[in-house]
Amino acid sequence: MFYPENHEDYSQVLESLGSFMEKEILPVSPKLDSGEASIEKPRKALFDQGMALIPFPAEYGGLRLPFSVYANAVELLGTADASIALSVEIHNAVAEGIKRFGSNEQRRKYLSNVISGKTLASFALTEPASGSDAGIMATSAEKKGGEFVINGSKMFITNAGEADLYLVFAKTRKGPSCFLLEAPNPGLKFGGDIKKLGMKGSKTSEVILTDCRVPEGNLVGEEGKGADYAKEILHGARIVVAALNVGIAQIAYDKAISYAKSRKAFGKSISEFQLIREKIADMKTGISAGRLLYFYASKIREMGADYASEASQAKVFATEMSLKACDDAIQMHGGYGYTTDDLHRHWRDARLLTIGEGTSEVLRLLIARRELARSQ
Amino acid sequence: MKIAVCVKHAVDETELKLDQSGKPLLQGAAGKMSTFDKNAVEEGLRLKATHSGEVVIFMVGTADSKKTLKEALAMGADRGVLVIADPITIDTYRTAELLSAAIKPGGFDVVLCSEGSSDTYSGQVPPMLGELLGLPYVGFARKMEVKGQSAIIERSLEDSVEVVEAPLPLVTSVVSEINEPRYPTLIQIMQASKKQLEELTGDKLSPPGSHRQATVTSMSSQPSIRKHVVMEGTPDEAATKLVEALTKEGVLK
Repeated sequence: MFYPENHEDYSQVLESLGSFMEKEILPVSPKLDSGEASIEKPRKALFDQGMALIPFPAEYGGLRLPFSVYANAVELLGTADASIALSVEIHNAVAEGIKRFGSNEQRRKYLSNVISGKTLASFALTEPASGSDAGIMATSAEKKGGEFVINGSKMFITNAGEADLYLVFAKTRKGPSCFLLEAPNPGLKFGGDIKKLGMKGSKTSEVILTDCRVPEGNLVGEEGKGADYAKEILHGARIVVAALNVGIAQIAYDKAISYAKSRKAFGKSISEFQLIREKIADMKTGISAGRLLYFYASKIREMGADYASEASQAKVFATEMSLKACDDAIQMHGGYGYTTDDLHRHWRDARLLTIGEGTSEVLRLLIARRELARSQ
Repeated sequence: MKIAVCVKHAVDETELKLDQSGKPLLQGAAGKMSTFDKNAVEEGLRLKATHSGEVVIFMVGTADSKKTLKEALAMGADRGVLVIADPITIDTYRTAELLSAAIKPGGFDVVLCSEGSSDTYSGQVPPMLGELLGLPYVGFARKMEVKGQSAIIERSLEDSVEVVEAPLPLVTSVVSEINEPRYPTLIQIMQASKKQLEELTGDKLSPPGSHRQATVTSMSSQPSIRKHVVMEGTPDEAATKLVEALTKEGVLK
């Protein structure tokens, strides 16, 4: 575990969490991938430990620790189990949205329960026909009597069907807006769990909204500002996704090193071969760089400065790096790499995140746009 | 009820490095709470939950080993006492002497230790502590109940279980089967920093006496010797032979 500041409390928090994850989460991880175990129990255990409290204010029961500590904790969780990390990260993104853009009443009503894990949350933005171009969303919300009536559908939603609370984005007359939708709701239905290449432990499905009524008081922030809120929430989430993928790369690397030391070919350990050593060096350098990038983005956020470019840099780099690291780990394992679920699942898990929460392509455009503006 | 629990900042055996001759490099080695001490802390907390009172953690160590004390405080202990001395340079008797000097004034009903530390596993400190405190020592507790002014302790011996009733106050060492140590929550970890942690200088607390300190003359890793027994025959025949061999060894019953 690495935290680049000499702070006893932060280290103790992270060591304790890391130890907990190693003993209680890591052993169940292969079963989450194979479908033999389900996510609820280990995720609840993590919430009970206080994982989701880390960056939130004390007045809501949070630990008020720096964002970088939270990101580091998600890295540890990414190493233990990427599916649970994804589920928790999405859940906390909703908490972030409530904290930053919600009314006092909404914070009072929802925030403590979300960050304690009593209320599981889900972020519902993507639709069947709109992903990167979220602005053209078809889901609508019409004001009628003291309510908003929401119609439409959302796709590829993590925690869907399990969550108690959804942060739903829908277009009103004023543009994309953001709502807090409690489940169950008569107008809220779900598709079945979508089969995925990886991240199999986390539930992903379609969310179907048919005359789904939410009280007017559940509009988050200003009507028509939903797109701005989504962007801001996703900037923070991208740092965390970067950390998650560094965690995935780390476990793939640990397994690769262990195999390289024990496997013999031509009478000696394959760790003595130069081209294996090249992979080890590149994997480790990539992990270190990814880690430092998400810390860097975290620190800029902690300083209160604009961190959108840095968050995107961290996500683009770490997600692409983790795929390469996992691929190298498979290659180093030879035939066992291709045929061992417990190894190739790391690549399958990592594969989501050059797509989800901002594709690498879109984020490169964001980075360039921001950096060109800065250079003026 | 007043409960004292002794913990050790042990060398983390998973991070321990050896020199070329196989000797462990102890200076500057990473440390952690001795594994079974967590069971001792947990047992102390369970006694407190049943009988109410106070759990105080005692440790002999250097200033940079405080994180182990804080871990015990995070589990739920009320306060901690660190007796400053370098555990690498002092022997088990001196450790027991320092702990005894720190514990004695407190009037504790139960003094809990673990069966042995996860690094050196001498198991000597608990009985020495009992002797120095002038208290009964009942070791290797796998179950403990306190009723009034007595404790009923099930002792886990090599091939039997002995049930002992002993008067309080007493010293006991616990084995890992006694309980499942709790994980401190992050809130508890953050709150641990605010709990009282007293530091005492070892030599001032208890000036070194005239006993001749035991010195370790050598320490090296023991190579594991494998028997290299090959079971021949068809898979079924080999499996049968393997089961027979393991049963003979006492691994299978």
